[in-house]
Amino acid sequence: MIMAETTPKNNESSSCLDTLARNPLYVGIAIGILAAFVQVLLVSAGGPEAYGFCVACHTRDVVNVAVNDVAGTKLAVAAISQNAILPVLTVIGVLIGAFLSAKAYTEFRTKSANAVSYIWYAVGGLLFMIFALFMGGCPYRIGLRVGYGDVVAFIGLIGIIAGVLIGIKVATKLMEREA
Amino acid sequence: MVLAGWLPKSAAIIAVPIVTIILGIIIGWLGQRSGFCSIGGFRDFFLFKHTRLLYGYIALIIGAFVGYLVFWLITPSAFEHFFWLMTSGFTPVPGAPAGLTVVGYTVLAIVGGIAVGIIGVLLGGCPLRQVVMTSEGNIKSLCFVIGMCVGSVVFAMWVSGWGVALLKAAGIA
Repeated sequence: MIMAETTPKNNESSSCLDTLARNPLYVGIAIGILAAFVQVLLVSAGGPEAYGFCVACHTRDVVNVAVNDVAGTKLAVAAISQNAILPVLTVIGVLIGAFLSAKAYTEFRTKSANAVSYIWYAVGGLLFMIFALFMGGCPYRIGLRVGYGDVVAFIGLIGIIAGVLIGIKVATKLMEREA
Repeated sequence: MVLAGWLPKSAAIIAVPIVTIILGIIIGWLGQRSGFCSIGGFRDFFLFKHTRLLYGYIALIIGAFVGYLVFWLITPSAFEHFFWLMTSGFTPVPGAPAGLTVVGYTVLAIVGGIAVGIIGVLLGGCPLRQVVMTSEGNIKSLCFVIGMCVGSVVFAMWVSGWGVALLKAAGIA
């Protein structure tokens, strides 16, 4: 009975667009096409190519431009962020967009954990950034580069898949030890 | 090489922050609704044979290819090296530390890819997912994002140079 009551309510509140937005398949297509569109629109400001969306590189651009401005350093930044009045703000946008969406669908919930896991996540983020920048992008830019025809990015993608398999092995071992 | 898009350079340098923040808001919204995650896609596929997220990542690659192809046909000057393999061979698209050989970049791609995969699985998501979870109120993900910000400075100041020196010392850069 409860199901019968709640189901129509959900259908009412979730629009047709939201049904599309909840399917990663359509989201993936949208991100790919939007990344290409951003390049055709903005690339006059500077390269590199296949740079429409990248969480690691775009975070790097925002942070390093800010540090360069404040501390007067010359940390490496992509040409497009160097030339433009402000760097690429994609990651700031993702923070805003996801927050608005989480609020709109009442999915915002503060989830805290213990201090040890905070340290692990911070160290993990630091290492992730370093290795992603060595690779020349996070998995998203690697995907864009594969779409752009870059063989090295494809090798990087195979590396990511190998890493995931190793990571699953490590995670299983860790869980066995805890159990 | 002069890349020329729809906006002239004078307009593009002003439009960059505006357009990218709008792009980010759209992707953030979609990412929050769908739980989009690249590394999570591979993890779910290998662990549970779930293809939902994996198809999303494959769709991203195909969507990017189709998008690049269509816009390249309209405005070739914005995609000077599309299709990269045909125009530039086995070199990578710029992004990684400059001035290495193809072998060096390949080594970096393999090492970086494996490390990124391991960290992503152990900490439960790729960077987009972590940023989205930060906005959903997850403090652990917030620590990950702060770590990424510190990492980008650390990389630019020291680690990038060390890595290149190491590759050169090993004779593969």
